[in-house]
Amino acid sequence: MTPSRLTARRLALTLFAVFAVVGVFVVKLVDIQVVRAAELTAAAEARRSSEVTVWGDRGEIVDANGTVLADSVDRFDITASPRNVSADGTTRMTVDGTRVTVPTAEAIAKIAEITGTPAADLYTALTTDPASNFTYLVKSVTLETFTAVFDLDIAWVYSELRPSRTYPRGAIAGNLVGFLGTDGPLAGTELQWDECLAPTQGTSTYERGADGVRLPGSLVVRQEAVDGGTVHLTIDSDLQWFAQQQLAQQGTAVGADWGTAMVVRVATGEIVVAADWPSIDPNDLNSVTPENSGARIFTAPFEPGSIMKPVAFAELLDRGLITPQTQLTVPNSYTNGMPRGVVISDVFSHGDMRWTATGVLMNSSNIGTVLLSEKLSNQDKYDSFREFGFGEPTEAGFLGEDGGTVKTAQQTSADVVTAATQMFGQGITATSAQMASLYQTLGNGGVRMPLTLVSGCEQPDGTWVDVPVPEGKRVVSEYAADQTLLMMETVASQGASRDVVSIPGYRIGAKTGTGEVAENGQYGSERIVSYAGVVSVDHPEYAIVVTFGKPDTMKSSAAAAPVFNAIMEQVIKSFRVTPSTEPAPNLPLTW
Amino acid sequence: MSALPLASPRPSPSTAPRRHLEVAPDRAARRARPKLLPAIVTMSGIGVILLAQLMLSIVLADGAYTISDLQGAQRDLQRQEQALTEQLEVLSSTQNLTANAEHLGMVASGNPVFLDLSTGAVSGNPTPAGGSLTGSSGNQIGNSLLLGSTLVDPLPTAGAGASGSTVDAGATADPASAGDSPATGGSTPPAPSAPGTIPSPTTR
Repeated sequence: MTPSRLTARRLALTLFAVFAVVGVFVVKLVDIQVVRAAELTAAAEARRSSEVTVWGDRGEIVDANGTVLADSVDRFDITASPRNVSADGTTRMTVDGTRVTVPTAEAIAKIAEITGTPAADLYTALTTDPASNFTYLVKSVTLETFTAVFDLDIAWVYSELRPSRTYPRGAIAGNLVGFLGTDGPLAGTELQWDECLAPTQGTSTYERGADGVRLPGSLVVRQEAVDGGTVHLTIDSDLQWFAQQQLAQQGTAVGADWGTAMVVRVATGEIVVAADWPSIDPNDLNSVTPENSGARIFTAPFEPGSIMKPVAFAELLDRGLITPQTQLTVPNSYTNGMPRGVVISDVFSHGDMRWTATGVLMNSSNIGTVLLSEKLSNQDKYDSFREFGFGEPTEAGFLGEDGGTVKTAQQTSADVVTAATQMFGQGITATSAQMASLYQTLGNGGVRMPLTLVSGCEQPDGTWVDVPVPEGKRVVSEYAADQTLLMMETVASQGASRDVVSIPGYRIGAKTGTGEVAENGQYGSERIVSYAGVVSVDHPEYAIVVTFGKPDTMKSSAAAAPVFNAIMEQVIKSFRVTPSTEPAPNLPLTW
Repeated sequence: MSALPLASPRPSPSTAPRRHLEVAPDRAARRARPKLLPAIVTMSGIGVILLAQLMLSIVLADGAYTISDLQGAQRDLQRQEQALTEQLEVLSSTQNLTANAEHLGMVASGNPVFLDLSTGAVSGNPTPAGGSLTGSSGNQIGNSLLLGSTLVDPLPTAGAGASGSTVDAGATADPASAGDSPATGGSTPPAPSAPGTIPSPTTR
């Protein structure tokens, strides 16, 4: 072997070794810098940086005037680390600006005094698991209490932010607003409009030192929080209060189980008042029993009784089958085609009455209404009810809204009693909202506007979404609607409760209703009484429906009349409804 | 070996004393020679830069603490604002306003009356204001946020009103009559106008 060959081989070996070592390094470098780069960077970040949640506020629920009905507020949970409580039984805290060492029991007593929590509870929380690093002391305290506790500057006390909800108007519109539970919305608008109201939580990531201060120049990754949108209701909260107040007073006086009142703006279908009594105070979920915590006005259909009669009259007028002056002899009972034993009678017994169609409506004669409705087929009746919006939930679309029941022509063909009684509101069910929609239609010249309860969701950037586009639908002719109102005017001007409901200067169209309540398949002595109407007849602006459920002392529509009157007066004052200018025609009632 | 003795040392070609010679430094070599001044400048420059960076870090860190403090203050103020807004909303609730209005002796308004500007016609049946908005049973619509009494004391308000009207009297009334009872001075409401005319305040 020549020396030169030996050198060449050595050189090759050395080179190979060098390249091998460099190769190993390159592989490792690529592995660290490229393959596992993200993972390692994240791990490094995690060691140095911390991620903080940036809370967005849940949106407000406001009324038509911007009055806040539901608002987000900060509450604080005061927490503690039992592990950090000094074993020698003393705690350092600041009292009146001086740092003192006191027995831990005294510190606990101080926290208890500030927060109004029993000291024993705090003591239990701290001693249950002494090794634990976290326990709740007091939940959901206000800023004031929170500041007072933190001014004590106790080392083992910590805090957590707890975004909460407050309802500044209490029980006003509590039925509509709904409420939140610990894990989110539970009822009403809060739940139904959660998508609009819910905020998007953001995060903020930065590197910080031991004292929590951000390191200068460190990377901040910020995901901005997005506040929730504002839900605008169409109701007027002051008027809503007035209606609820009236319902509560009269409801208590007549011993009713519940009461509802709805005011609808005739031209637009906006719900101005949707009052329920009793109504929940969403701040205090125990303020009413669970069955009263919802909005009966939308969710509880009932047999409305005579306030349903205008459907029959409007439909008959629309088809030209009657005029307000149509003459009729109304006997004391009606048995045409009824099964044996079924007799339809009026609320008072009478001989053969020579009533006009107007007289039939004014006297709220069941017999007369059924006699006139004989001209309508079962299908006509069904179609008419459906056209007026019965049998399906209204467009207000309240959470859990019920549509009531309208029997189909097929069903009523087999059930001749209901075929007749539905014309005076028995054997058919509807919610107060649907009844209000009926009176809105009659007040609006026969054009039914979809009811609206929410006028839209205003997003944080000021844009509006989900704004309803009300599209009216003609149900009956303007002539039929106007004539029905004129006929209804005689109820307010000449009916039994005329002195209660009349308002000088205003022509009011109204209808009374005393619905029998079926219990266990039988009509008993319980009644659901209503007063519904329109102000004013010559230029209808507002439709009002007041209903009381199962009053004890006054089982007729007279129980609802004073509330109807009071709300109507308040509506006139609030919205400056101008007095009537045309005199009433005074339609003849008899012939 | 045999050839060497034949060679005799030759005398040197020059008799002049041998001068000290060295390679003349070329330009690069001259430049490479260390110089004191640039060294000092460089070293102090580095020192200044390091010092500046140190100061910058200190200022930045200080700024970070200021930012942190201000952010804390901002958060506290936002919370305070929210807490106050919350209180305000409760105080402006219908329940509280009605209770206070009744407490101060305010009554519900009467029927509205309308004046048609084009014809001058008055419509509506005026009724005197009176009666309670809540009725005899008081407010029935609960608000569990209203804890304790939030009724305002009418006395300070009345006092403020009285002093206000006294000031008015002094400012607007005839100096001669200003010494008289202030209640009959400038605070006198405008005299009721004749029916059919628009009530207008008395001007001087």
